[in-house]
Amino acid sequence: MVSHILKDCGDNVINMLTDALDAGLSVLDKDLTIIWVNKTLPNMLNLHYNPVGRKCREVYACECQDSRHCSVLQALSTGKKTSNEIQLITESGVRKYIRNITTPVRDGGNNIAYLLKVSLDITQQEEKVRRISLLRKFAEVMQGMLQIDRLLHLALTCVTAGSALGFNRARLFLVDKEQNVIYGKMAVGPSSLEEANKIWSEIAHKNENLDDLIDASEKTRHYDTPLHKTTRLMAFSLTDEKEIIVSCVKTKKMILERNAFSNDQIDKKFVNAVGVNEFICVPLVVEGDAIGAICADNAYNRKPITEEQVELLSIFASRVALAFANAETYRKLWEKNQQLKETRERLIRSERLAVIGNMAAYIAHEIRNPLVTIGGFARILMREYADHKKVKQHTEIITEEVNRLEKILANIMDFSKPIETLKTSIQINELLENTCCLMGPYLKSAHIQVSKKFDPSIPKIIVDQTQMKQVFLNLIKNAAESMTQGGKLTVESMTEDEYIKIDFTDTGEGMTPEILQNLFTPFFTTKVDGTGVGLAVSQKIIDDHNGFIKIKSVPKEGTTFSISLPIKNVTA
Amino acid sequence: MKTILVVEDDKNQLLLYEQELSLEGYKIITARDGLEAIKKVREQLPDLIVMDITMPKMNGIEAMGKILSEHKKIPIIINTAYSRYKDDFMSWAADAYIVKSSNLKELKDKIKELV
Repeated sequence: MVSHILKDCGDNVINMLTDALDAGLSVLDKDLTIIWVNKTLPNMLNLHYNPVGRKCREVYACECQDSRHCSVLQALSTGKKTSNEIQLITESGVRKYIRNITTPVRDGGNNIAYLLKVSLDITQQEEKVRRISLLRKFAEVMQGMLQIDRLLHLALTCVTAGSALGFNRARLFLVDKEQNVIYGKMAVGPSSLEEANKIWSEIAHKNENLDDLIDASEKTRHYDTPLHKTTRLMAFSLTDEKEIIVSCVKTKKMILERNAFSNDQIDKKFVNAVGVNEFICVPLVVEGDAIGAICADNAYNRKPITEEQVELLSIFASRVALAFANAETYRKLWEKNQQLKETRERLIRSERLAVIGNMAAYIAHEIRNPLVTIGGFARILMREYADHKKVKQHTEIITEEVNRLEKILANIMDFSKPIETLKTSIQINELLENTCCLMGPYLKSAHIQVSKKFDPSIPKIIVDQTQMKQVFLNLIKNAAESMTQGGKLTVESMTEDEYIKIDFTDTGEGMTPEILQNLFTPFFTTKVDGTGVGLAVSQKIIDDHNGFIKIKSVPKEGTTFSISLPIKNVTA
Repeated sequence: MKTILVVEDDKNQLLLYEQELSLEGYKIITARDGLEAIKKVREQLPDLIVMDITMPKMNGIEAMGKILSEHKKIPIIINTAYSRYKDDFMSWAADAYIVKSSNLKELKDKIKELV
């Protein structure tokens, strides 16, 4: 039959037949120079020149430098038909997987004269296999990832990675049940076509494996890209069920939208925000509940979303959701544990304060009684010997010292006194104003300038006025005492989240880390005549109000004490 | 001459009050605990009582209650090292509450005011 056609059409028919094949054919001589090819081969390899006359290795630009894996060399040395698989980057920068089958052709003397090489393009199959294996490995890594942000970013990286799901862009949305909205959490992908082209030309030469992708995700996680920014601005009410992203999480079904702009069944707010005609939304379902969705598109290369991408994304999304649930459980557990730790520390602290307080009270009273007697009689002596210079002078010293001791005791007893609270609703600014006013003359005499920055819009809160005033007095006095050469004290009130925050900033000595560490320890003091109870008392009072104190201090520059008091006081 | 009963378990402190208050021109009688104080009031009926709180046998607050139930009119000054009894409503029955100090001025002023 063939010979019949040959007779009719000559050599042409061979070319016709070989060109019609899906496989690339080439004939090499013993020196591995190409002496003939069919038309399929240059197309397959994206060659821009005629390969005939060139060396095999040159044309295939194959990465396999090892002769044991080269089918041509193997065929030549063994004399048998040999096959192998190679991957190469074509001139236009596309990665291809090729299977080569080389058959030796012998001459009349049974010596190998030529080599017939059949090349099959197996890129698609190969990439699919690699993709699935990569996704599987990904899912494994994600299961062990406990930080939610890292996990989600890795997931999006995977959705956009050419070697994985290969979408151009991926956005992640999360459901906020309290606010009844779904909002943009993060996005991965180039922000413009230029950026996209740049990235593609870079990754074409790289066969991304799992570690590369994890690495890339970690590196780019903190970049605030334009795409990421715009995504974070997106939010849709869960009642807008005609928005695709909303209906995706409501129905818990994947939605592949191929013609969004002209689809009159849907509202366009989400579509316009995404800005492409074709995209896919996949819900993340955890225990029957959609916690969010991934939205992916091919905004730059405008390739239609393939069946394979759809299928892989849906499998992948379920793994992401599972990993998310894992991380979420872990986070909750961690939070509970943290709460427990804090409660325990609080308990220990108040226990310690109570013990110290009781002990201090006992000692203070035991000392006070004899002091009364000593001081009292010293006064009698001072009076009776008013005209005896030496006795008078010495008894005066005794009296003074006793006075000093009594003052310290009064301080300590204030500290150990069980605090009876009387909480009333008050505007903190008034109390601050009042305290500043009270301290006014003292601050003036210490050459300290006071700057008051009160936010008039802060709400009233419920506090014990006397105690709170005590705290303010303590902090202002502390600040003043740190500015021995005078300086500036800034008192500032503001609202911060659920708290009213009051800052006392001085331009004083500042504190070293060692001092900072012991600051709230009762009886710790750096002052010559301090008792070390002022801050401990303040801390206790703020604790009792469910607030907290924070300190920022730079040696030689100054210190800021920040008090935060909850606006809604639970124990009120 | 007005009579003042000073109730105080600390021997030396008692001596201090005796000396200082005598100088102010009062007749001073003393008691070392609550029980003795009640007895002294019955015997001599002072014009004013200076009462310590923490004492053996019977504390000042209990003694004060007993004395006031018999003699409603006697002014009583609580003179103690503790400030915390101020919040004890039993102590509110007293006419004054003084936290002890080696400077007796506050005590003397209060006595002058109440006698």
